[in-house]
Amino acid sequence: MTADRVALVARLLAQAAARGQTNLAEHEAKQVLAAYGLPVTREILVTSREDVGPAAAAVGYPVALKASSPDIPHKSEQGLVLLGLADEPAALAAYDAVATALARRPGGVLIQEMVAGRRELALGLVRDPDFGPCVMFGLGGIFTEILGDAVFRRAPLELADAHDMMEEIRSRRILEAVRGIPAADRGTLAEMLMSLGQIGLDHQAVAEIDLNPVILAGARPVIADALIVLR
Amino acid sequence: MAIVGVSSEGGYGFANGMLLACRAMGFAGEILPVNPKGGTFAGQTIFHSLEEIPGDIDFAVIAVPAPAVPEALEACRRKGAAGAEVLTAGFGETGTPEGRVLEQQIREVAARGIRVVGPNCFGIYCPASGLTLLPGAGLSRETGPVGFLSQSGGMSIDLAHLGGWMGLRFSKVISFGNGADLREAELLRYLADDPETGVIAMYVEGVADGSDFFQAIREAALRKPVVVLKGGLSEAGGRAVVGHTASMGGSRAIWSGVLRQANATRVESLEELAQACLAFSHLPARVFRGISAVGGGGALGAAAGDAAEACGITLPAFSPDLRDRIEAILPRPGSSAANPIDVANPFVPPAVLGQVLRLAAEDTRVGLQVLISLLYHYKSQARAVGVAVADITPCTELAETVAAAAADTGKPVVMVLPDLMRGPEDLDLAGMMAGAREEFTGRGVPVFGAIGEALRAIGHVSAYYERRLPREES
Repeated sequence: MTADRVALVARLLAQAAARGQTNLAEHEAKQVLAAYGLPVTREILVTSREDVGPAAAAVGYPVALKASSPDIPHKSEQGLVLLGLADEPAALAAYDAVATALARRPGGVLIQEMVAGRRELALGLVRDPDFGPCVMFGLGGIFTEILGDAVFRRAPLELADAHDMMEEIRSRRILEAVRGIPAADRGTLAEMLMSLGQIGLDHQAVAEIDLNPVILAGARPVIADALIVLR
Repeated sequence: MAIVGVSSEGGYGFANGMLLACRAMGFAGEILPVNPKGGTFAGQTIFHSLEEIPGDIDFAVIAVPAPAVPEALEACRRKGAAGAEVLTAGFGETGTPEGRVLEQQIREVAARGIRVVGPNCFGIYCPASGLTLLPGAGLSRETGPVGFLSQSGGMSIDLAHLGGWMGLRFSKVISFGNGADLREAELLRYLADDPETGVIAMYVEGVADGSDFFQAIREAALRKPVVVLKGGLSEAGGRAVVGHTASMGGSRAIWSGVLRQANATRVESLEELAQACLAFSHLPARVFRGISAVGGGGALGAAAGDAAEACGITLPAFSPDLRDRIEAILPRPGSSAANPIDVANPFVPPAVLGQVLRLAAEDTRVGLQVLISLLYHYKSQARAVGVAVADITPCTELAETVAAAAADTGKPVVMVLPDLMRGPEDLDLAGMMAGAREEFTGRGVPVFGAIGEALRAIGHVSAYYERRLPREES
């Protein structure tokens, strides 16, 4: 099983590199993450207008609709992330806008479940010149840059290291039960952090991973957006 | 020990300076100066070559010009030296091809069977043998638990001097400079294995092999505390970053995380490093969560409370009964024994302070006590009665009382001796304060200059053992 996931992801990465990609489109990145057991959003990639309705119905309204292209790593800045689409006419209108902007660039349009949760985290991986692959844990969404509240550990992480990261951020109370919202599932978060480190160790082709936001749907973390940068 | 490069023309070159410094230290072995020009220096005949020395040598200090270093090192190796320190600069650090070639040549000689510290370093300080750093003629010959590794020569001699008056005692201080042969990871493993070393401290700028360094520091920290000052930390600015994760991960954040992962103690300055080493040297291997703070003046107590909170330490409020018993022996009015304990004035007799410490130790939540003593106020008393301040300040009695209270209660006492009168008219106080410090540290009681520094150092000790002890049990 472990060998399978390494081979599967190596193949995905090699194919992307062969196409000249410098990063993975969101949907490709999610396949890599899912192979390592990380919890990603339910989503369907569509490349034609007639697939939008059935895909959105299968995911379940309301849906999010996003460009998924290796040429557009920061799609929300370009207005290519449309959230909370309640029905098929809204989904189709969003599709038309995104498809026009995508034009002839590679990739497609991602129809994705809306994750209900108000707490956003950021998880990631970088390669440090001294210490090799290092895993990040911090606050997500726009607060990642505003507060700069993030901590790092070198891969491989032990379970205690992953739990210690959650204790080390200044905003650690975001993981506790607050105002009727349950405490975060730290066990799953710890596994996610360890798996990210493992991806970095298994795949030299991965330069960086950026999971932001990881939304806490109640207690459960779900990776809503993902970027994988290739070396 | 051969010192290669001693000049008969005198002067303060590295080799001459090292010879004089080691002699002043009372170096335990024979010192053998070498220079092709021969002659004499400081009453010693200079050998023309290493070959001319009768018999083998154990160690060599090399301070000849850079191009001559590889040959001198090879001669030392052939003379049986197990190791050498190369003080000379002008190697890899210059960034020139010639410098890099010479450094590579040092590595090649080393690989044939001689271990090398340096080049571009201040050498090794070993109190047991009297070997010293440049230009450390006056360092202590008393061995202690602190082993210090430094990429910077200046940091090594600075800590040796700073630690000297603070009450730190060293096993070895090793300035390894460019680290052509021996460097951070291997030296860490050496100090981890060294029975004389109880606390490892290091100043590091860059590492040759991050993975090996991490393994070495993590393994060392499982056995003894490792205090790290990292120089040259910069943010990610300038690096091309695509994702947010990389932009968050400057070397400061990564180093911070990696050191915590290894359970190393990260400090921000040489002073903080020395203070952490002092606390690790003198305090037992425990986690201190609750403390008492004893001092004269309500603001001191408030400052203690504020500083404690920031270090994860609490000052548990005493029971009314204990409070009454402590207040009964303190001057009234003005005192308060709620914890922090305000003893009302700086002239409370040592015997009373000792009683206060013994009573406060009865609270089971108190694991350590901090006594803040404003000794400089004795200057006004000294002036009033016309005697020297050192003659009127009860330093010895206070130190004896405090050390006895700590020993009898099993709860360590940490002294804070603020030193706020340091003008030219108060040089008598400087002498008295230095003497007071020795009275305490000589009895195993660590002394800090400010409450915040003391609590930060105690916090480092607690954090280390809190994170190490569970791993040991599992």
